[in-house]
This record gives sequence, structure tokens and C-alpha cells, in this order.
Amino acid sequence: MTATEPVVLAAIGKTHMAPFVLETAAKLGELTGTTVEAVHVGEGLADATSTLAATFGVPLRRLRGPVASTLLAATESAHVLAAVIGGHGSASDDRPVGPTARHILEHTTRPALVVPPDVRLPKVIRRCLVPLEGTEPSSRPVLEALGRLLRNEVELIVLHVFTDETLPRMLDRPYQDIELLGREFLITHCPPAGAIEMRHGPVASRVVEVSEERDADLIVLSWSQVGGQGRARVVREVLGASARPVLLLPIAGVGPEQ
Amino acid sequence: MTDLPELDRTFEAVVLDWDATRGVVSKAELARLRGRLEELCTAGVPVFVLADGRLPDVQREVGFRPPGPGRLFLCCEQGSQDFEVTGDHAVAVRGREPSADESSALDRAARRVADALENLGFDATVEETGRTRRRVVAAPGRRDDPSGRSVEGSGMGPTLALRPTLGETRLASLARLQAELAGLADPQVTVGVGDIEFALTSKSDAAQFAADWLTKRGITGELILVVGRESAWPPLARAIVLPPGGRARPSKAGLRAGPVGLSATLGAQLDRRAKRLVPQVDPDPAWVFALCEDGPRQRSAEALGSLSNGQVGVRGSREEGGPSAAPLFLAAGVYDHDEHLLAGPIWTEVDLVPTPGPGTGHRLLDLRTGVLARVDEQIGLRSLRFVSIASPQLMAFRLEVPSSMLQPGNPVRSPSQAIDFTRRFSGEACIGVSRDSARNIAVAARDQVGVVAGRSSLERLAAWDTSTAGKTSQLESKRLLREGEAAGFEALLAEHRRAWADRWADAEVSIEGLGAAADQLQVRLAVFHLLSAIGETTEAAVGARGMTGAAYAGHVFWDADIFVLPALTALRPAAARAMLEYRIRRLPAARATAEACGRLGARFPWESAGDGYDVTPRLVDDGHGHRVPIATGPHEEHIVADVAWAATHYATWSSDRMFVARAGRALIVETARYWASRVQADAGGRYHILEVMGPDEYHEVVDDNAYTNVMARWNLREGARLLRSERPDDREATHWVDLADRLVDGWDSDRGIYEQFTGFFDLEPLFVADIAPPPVAIDMLLGADRVARSQIVKQADVLMLHHLVPEEVAEGSLRPCLDFYEPRTAHGSSLSPAISASLLARAGRPNEALERFRVATRIDADDLTGTTAGGLHLATMGGVWQALAFGFLGLRAESEALRVDPCLPDAWSRLSMRMQFRGRRVRVEASHDQVSIDCDSPIAVRVAGGSIEHCVPPSRTFSLPARPEHERRRR
Repeated sequence: MTATEPVVLAAIGKTHMAPFVLETAAKLGELTGTTVEAVHVGEGLADATSTLAATFGVPLRRLRGPVASTLLAATESAHVLAAVIGGHGSASDDRPVGPTARHILEHTTRPALVVPPDVRLPKVIRRCLVPLEGTEPSSRPVLEALGRLLRNEVELIVLHVFTDETLPRMLDRPYQDIELLGREFLITHCPPAGAIEMRHGPVASRVVEVSEERDADLIVLSWSQVGGQGRARVVREVLGASARPVLLLPIAGVGPEQ
Repeated sequence: MTDLPELDRTFEAVVLDWDATRGVVSKAELARLRGRLEELCTAGVPVFVLADGRLPDVQREVGFRPPGPGRLFLCCEQGSQDFEVTGDHAVAVRGREPSADESSALDRAARRVADALENLGFDATVEETGRTRRRVVAAPGRRDDPSGRSVEGSGMGPTLALRPTLGETRLASLARLQAELAGLADPQVTVGVGDIEFALTSKSDAAQFAADWLTKRGITGELILVVGRESAWPPLARAIVLPPGGRARPSKAGLRAGPVGLSATLGAQLDRRAKRLVPQVDPDPAWVFALCEDGPRQRSAEALGSLSNGQVGVRGSREEGGPSAAPLFLAAGVYDHDEHLLAGPIWTEVDLVPTPGPGTGHRLLDLRTGVLARVDEQIGLRSLRFVSIASPQLMAFRLEVPSSMLQPGNPVRSPSQAIDFTRRFSGEACIGVSRDSARNIAVAARDQVGVVAGRSSLERLAAWDTSTAGKTSQLESKRLLREGEAAGFEALLAEHRRAWADRWADAEVSIEGLGAAADQLQVRLAVFHLLSAIGETTEAAVGARGMTGAAYAGHVFWDADIFVLPALTALRPAAARAMLEYRIRRLPAARATAEACGRLGARFPWESAGDGYDVTPRLVDDGHGHRVPIATGPHEEHIVADVAWAATHYATWSSDRMFVARAGRALIVETARYWASRVQADAGGRYHILEVMGPDEYHEVVDDNAYTNVMARWNLREGARLLRSERPDDREATHWVDLADRLVDGWDSDRGIYEQFTGFFDLEPLFVADIAPPPVAIDMLLGADRVARSQIVKQADVLMLHHLVPEEVAEGSLRPCLDFYEPRTAHGSSLSPAISASLLARAGRPNEALERFRVATRIDADDLTGTTAGGLHLATMGGVWQALAFGFLGLRAESEALRVDPCLPDAWSRLSMRMQFRGRRVRVEASHDQVSIDCDSPIAVRVAGGSIEHCVPPSRTFSLPARPEHERRRR
């Protein structure tokens, strides 16, 4: 590995999430055709993290400084293609992500894969669920980001969730028209995708439901990186409810939370 | 090319003020100008020369005769006489002949003015300068004023000429006053230096003649070059005006042209034709529909920009195609072995590098002339295409781009990898064939490419033909292409424009009022696609999306019979007849289907394609991996009566009143026979129709659906009436009448409304507005099961009866049924809002009707279903026309008369529709207080519930009763 080769950066700490983060990072590395580099901020548990990284065959870089800002700076290195971080500390924790992870997510310019505590890891990432709201400004950046990220074959399943406001006004032949709508949606918003699911209802719930139904290995969400009160509800709810890794694509001004 | 953008276009006609031009050109320049006009005329450009003089003088001065296809008109004597020059002589084509009274009044007026001028000291004489003109020539009289000045009332006579003495305004006032006193209404008054002329006509009349002649050929507005004084004549107000004199003040278009400039301008027009440059459309906002170029709307725009001639249709895809484009070329009724319309060879694509980005430029669908134009100023691209309705097997387009962009490529291409497609070259023609085991579609095309000043122009003519499997259509398509090439692009376009003008002459809709311009454009879009979609030859299989997209595979539903056919019956009766022929030719399949079900007569299928058997899918994927049954095919049996209704409606409205007794007889009788075998008796002797689905598809399989039962009852009675007209004591007819009389219809006399089906009133009473504002696909919102347990309906069901067969429902039941069902209607079908609008108007609720109407007009324009990319909702468009005609104008064919009973919304001040009724061309125009009916032969009408009266050509106006009385009659 040279300094200019892109890497997937796995941010590991002292929590029990570290192996899951490393394993998920490895799978993301396979998907993106890149190697994985682990980083750890601080002195504690140095041997444990080294051993763990070695177990996964991943080089570990130790960094010093305030954890959140140091990790953020690491993700911003030019060679970092994407970052992988752990979600909340435990399944019982009702915050979707801890403060460190939140700081990184809200400020990094790199795609960040959040690994939930009760993650169900696939052998390989072969199917991604991509919820899209169906506007050109929101779909295009997702497509572009995925295009930069994904190197190996993966099945993209688009999910479009109609809200009460966006529901079609008429369905002459419900099943066939929904199929037609879906086909047109894919052509317009995500031509590389192989399938589409169309649902109605609360977006986050439907995202989690469909990820289970379709056994998605990864959920891809765009988000505006504004996670304050009342914002990014879909991202927060999906992070809180999904047992599947969630890849957040930082895209200014758009995202399913809008 | 010219540096004046207003002139950088192809004009389709020239109107020239000869006198204004002659005055500023030298003899040599005049000769050059004559030469240009002759060449233009030869090239097929109509030329109108408007002159003051009489024909011999004008002929001598203009001095040219048009060889070839050109048309030359000499409009002489300031609009009094118009002649067409053919060969070596002129034929009068229009003249203003004064009546004896008008001649006398002209003489009197002139004499009175002459007398008045005599009293002022002039020597005045009257000259007859033409049949419609008189001139008073006044010379200074007594010369007894030593100062040389004329002073009225001074006793001294004038020494100066008339106008300098009295002034133009005063003389004009004097002349008008005397004309009025002489009984000459509204004469043209011209004050010269020494004369005053009265005329019944002016050059504006000639301009009106030119404008009318050109409008009938689809040449309007900015397609016309007017060479004349700076302000155009009112009839040509939107034309481009080129003042002929170099010193002329700028016209409204800011143009100047000296004689040389004029000659060069006309020469440039010839050059444009020689270089095959892209013609223009007249950018009239009342007729031009701009397609949305937003990325996600590109594909619905393709559907909206489709062009069709009823036999073939092509989507409005951009020429360069690309991943988001869905170009499609279809031939009506040409189904593959799976009973899907076969995709024909693509003839509209070219290779452009770099590929223009999405969303740039704009595409304009010219509804008046049926062409799709594209302009992208940013990259310098222009194109125009048409599918000829005059020569239906020919199609063409032209394209202009920077030369570096245009790449060589095949003119005919495969529609998709899934299609068996072959291509070969024969001479300079490229012939592509889409093949299927059942049918072939061949397209032969040839490109002509030119390069001038860094720009390439491409002209592609194409011809199509179809054949059954195993036979070749290639030779025929090539032969047709040769025919097209012999005619040439411009001649084909001219005849196409003219054919469209003819179509609109019987179909134009105009609306005035608040927001009416947008309404009018949307209506014209709908009528345009209705006029386009259906052919008149043999049979017309009209799929739910016409030939504008692949959705619904070209399958024919009740959409065609109930929604599209009534509009076509009034607009293009021959096309409506072809639609019925489609059903007639599928009677054997319908009979076989009935027999297979253990019934008699004919059962038409819910979805029909080539062979006439049901092609409704039995199972579809529900989107969750489950196969679910589709109930429409087995249960939506009302289609049987719908077909019969269409046949009867056609015969009642058109001049083909014997249709049901002859060619269409079986459509009525065999369907009635089906119902007679379909009904079931109960112990009480009442008849029922069990396990059906009505138009309200939210409630799938029900008993005694009101729509189905009442339509079946109507069908039985119509069948019986027909049989009895042949044999009064026909026993089968007697049986049918008995069945009809005992068939339950859901009428609840206590509530004064119909129950939609047995048990409907027991369902959960939900109101749509409490859940979501309609229209809404409420089955998606609440789930199909919940909706099925409720009283929410998808579309008019009971109410549809009031629209189709009001004589079959209880008198006065429309309003209570509307009050009950409208709040329960989600309008979750694209068919619903237009019919609702029609019924609300009939119920005297026109403002609510307008709300629904506007939803209907926006279904495709705004893609309210999200499926317009798959093709346009032709039935909605038919519904839009019906809402205007049957709803707002209140038209209905009575046995002896056309009923007219308008009810306009407050926002509209006027609604006018042209159509045919029983062989007559009529125009019905309504305002809030009167109705005018134009007709080309006498017609009986019943206006606003009054007695039958007769209109004779050209028109008659009726006052409408005051609103309360009008409402009372309507009830």
C-alpha cells in the first residue's frame, strides 16, 4: 500500500464494536476494490487493537489527540475513500450513534459506513438497498457517489417510499401501473439498479422493512449532515432501527430526511 | 442567412403591398423583385399581391406567371376583387359586389360631400373609381381672395388644394358624417391632397382573404412575411412585417429593408429551401405546447410530443436518443404473437457528438400543424418532424447542427435488442424491418445531407409499410419512399399542414375568460391527440395509450368505446366508424367467448388486441414477489354493453343513422343476447347479474353492480327495439324487454339514490376528503382491503349511468347521487375527473366542475399518474372533450334535435366548439346569457330546455333564460 492508494478507513476504539467495524470495513474494501486501514486514537488497549487489526490482516495507525477531531482529520486524508465507524455503543443505547461518530458523520466529506451494534454481517456485500426520494437533485449525487465508490459487482435495489404528499394521484391498474412507475423511476433516477421496491408510509420504517424483506447487505442513504433537533429524522431512525450497516453519503442539501 | 433574426426563418407565404413597394423601387430593382417573387411562387410559396389598381393594370405591372406548384393571387382595387393567376389568365376567387342599396348610398354620400365642398368654394366632381368606390375630386374654385388663403365663411374661395385648406381630420369627419347621413355604414374614407374617396373595402379585406386562405393551409402568424407599410393589416397582425422602403421607419419587428434588401430577403428564402434548412413553427401561444425538458419529465415529454396519423405513431424523443430516451414507432393494430404492439424500426435517430445534454433547448409541439420542432440555441440545433396525415405512409424530418456534431449513421435502426430486426441498403435507401412470427413493419428512409458555412443540414424522408409474417413489405416501403422524394419535403409538409387545418376546421375549441388561455391550450392538446390517434381506413384498434407509448401494449379497453369514440364521432366520424369496425370484426371471437362461458350472443373481452380474445393478464406480480389474480378480465363484463352503447351513440350522433340496423346490428343484438343469457332469476321473479366488477375497481367482485345492470338493461331494450323494428312481434325481443323490466338496478326509492351494488350501503361510510384531498390513489394510502370494506369508490360508477344513459335512470336522481357519491369518490382513475366535471356541470355546479376539469386536463401534462412516460391517457383526453361538449355546453343528441343547454363556470366568459352533428358542420358558442349556433345546413336544436327550433345557415343566436328558470328546466 502506498500513501496514494485509496483505502477504506476503519475507526476502531475500545468498544466491543471494533471487530464488527473491521469486518465490515473488510467487506466494504472488497466491494470498493481497495485495502483497509485501521486507525485508533489514544493509548489504551494498544495491544488489543493491534492484535485485532492483525487478526483481520489490517494495518493499524495510532493517532494522538482529541478523539473526534483526530478521527475526522484521518477520514479527510486524501487517500481515504470511505470511513467505517461503529454505531451506538450497545443495542440498548437509544442514541443511533455516539458523540464521536456523530461528529465524524456531520463533518466528514467521505462516505461513512455505520456499523450497528447488533449487526448481521453477510459473507460478502452483494446487495445494497438505495432509498431515493425521486428528484433529480437528490438522485444524481447518490449515483455519482456510488459510481466513485463501487468497483465490484453489486446488486442495487432502489426503494422509493411515497409519502401522503407524493403518492400518485391515480392508479388505473394498480399492480401494472406501480410496475410501470418503478420502471420509469429506475430509468430516470438510477439506471444501474436491477430492481425497485415502491412503498407508502413512514420512510424509515419502510427502509428497514424492505432491507429485511430483500435481505439487503447494506443500506445506502444520502444525507445533508445536519443532524440537529428535528433534522435527519430518516437517517436517525434507520440508524437506530436497522441491524444492517448503513452507508451515509454526505450530500449537501439533500437526503431522505428532507 | 441574414443578420436580422426576424428574417432568419423560412416563410411559408409572402403578402406584398404592391403600391407601397412600387413607390420605392427603381425599374431594375422592380424587375429583380418580380423575378424573386416568380421563383418563390415556383418553389411553392403562395404569394399575395395587394394593389390599389384594377386587374389589367396590376397584371401588367406585376408581370409574372407562376409555373409549377406556386399560387399567385392578385388582390385588386383595395380589397374589392381578388384573383388567382393560373396559367396565362386570372380567375376571380373573391369579390365584394355592392348591393343596389350600397351603390346608391355610395353615390349619395359622394354627392353630399361634393355639395359640401362646393359650398366651401371648391369645384367638386364625383368619379366612380370602382364598383365599391367613389371619389370626390375637389379643385380650388373662386380665386377672389387677394391673400391667397382660404378662409371658410369669409366669402372668399380657397386657392390651395383641399387637404392643405381644410385639414385631414376635418375632411374625414365631414366625409363620415355625410356618409352616415347618406345611409352608408362604416365606409373606408381616404383623404387625399385633392380628393376624398369612399370605399366599401380596403386592403385589409384583401389581407383578410389572404389570412383566411393561408389559415386553411396551416400557414399563420410568423410563417407569413408581409412586405408593406410598417403596421400590418389586422388580419395579419402576427405576421413578420418588412417595410419595403429603405427609409421606412422600423416596424414592430424592427426591420428595415431597401429594395435591394427586399430582393435579397426573398432570395434568401429560396436559398433556405435549396439548402433544406429547417422550417419554422408559428410560435402562437394558443397553439404551441412546450414540452417540459426537466430531466425526470423527459420521458413523459416524449409521450406528449408524439406524432401520429392514426396508422402509425412516433414518440417525441430527441434525435440523439440516449439512455433516458424511449423512442418508439408503432403501427396501429400491428400486434406481435404475444398480442403486444410490435415496435417498428426507429427512423428519428441521428448520431450527434458531443451528445446534447439533458434539459437543454426546448421542444415545441405545434398543435395547429402537427409538427414537433426543437430548438437548442446553445448548441445551434434545430429540427422539425412530422408524420404525414395527408400521405399517411410518409414521414420526414429535418435537422440543422454545427457540422462537427453530425456523425454518419444509419437512417433506420433497431427498436430494441429484443426485436428481430434486419437492415439492408437498396440504392440510396436504407430499409429496416422489425419482424415477428405474426407481423412485419418495414421502414425505408434516405438522408440528404448538406454542409454550408460550418453547419450541416440533414433531411430524412421515410416511408413505412406492414405485412403479415412471411411477406415482405420492403419493396412497398421503398416504392413509397420514392413517391415521397418525388413530392419533396416541402410539398409533403405543406399538404400535411393543410390536412391538419382541415381537421381543426371541424374540431376547434376556444375558451375565453379567467385562466381560459391555459384551459384552452390543454384542451387543444387533448383534441390534437384525439385527432391524431385514430385512422379512418378499415378498422381502428385504439389502445389505451394510443401509439404514444408501450404501456398497456396497445390493448383496447372500454376507454375506446366510452371515452374516445364519442369525441371522434363528433370530430371525425369516419374514424369513429373505423373504431366500431374493429369491434365488428371481432364478433366471431366475442361469440366464441360467450359460448365458452356457456352463454349466448357475444361477450367482448375486457382487454382486446389483434384476435379479439381476452388478453387481460390473469396473474400479475404484486411487487412483493406474489402472483395475484386480476379480476378485471373475468368480471368487468360491462364492456359488453359499452360496445353496444358506442355503436348506438355513433348512429345517434352521426349521419350514419342506419348503422345499427346494418353493419352495427350485431353489436347491439348479440350483446343483448349475451345479457339475456347472463342474468339469473331469483325466487321472486327478479333478475340479477352476479359476480361482476363495475367501473369502481376498488370493489372487485360484487353482485348487481348498478352500472353493469343498468347498462345491460339498456342493452336489452336497445336490442329489443332493433329486433322489433324488423319484426314487431319478435318473441326474443319480448323476452328481452321482460328481462330488462325485471332486472334489479339498485334503486333505493327511500333514499332517492342508487346503491352501487348489493350491500354497498352496509360498508364503512368514509369520505375521501377526510383522508386526503382527491384525486388520490387511496388504495395505496389505505390498502386495497380497507378500501374494499368502505364506501370509497375509485371513479364514477352509478354516476356514469347519468352520463351515458340518463334516460335509463330515475328522473331527478343525478343531484342526490352526486351528493352521495362525489364525496366518496377518490378519482383514483384517470377516467374519473373528466366525467365528474361533466356531471357537475349538468347538475348546475359549474365551478366545481371546472376544478375537476382542470385536474383532467393536467393528468398527462403534469404526469399526475406518474405513468405518462408509458403513453398518453387517450380516454382522459376523450373525457375532456366530453366534459366540454356534454357537460359545459350540455349537448345531447335527441331524436329530432341537438340539445344545447350550457352551464359555464364563472371563470369562463365564452366556450366555443366546432364539430359535426348528423352530417352538418356546426359551431356552438355559449356565453352566460346566450348561445350562437353556426351551421352549414339547417339543423334543429333545443336550447336550454325550450321547444325545438331551427337554425339556418350561417347562424342563429338564442338568449338563455335567467339562471333560476334555466336551473328549473335543467332539473
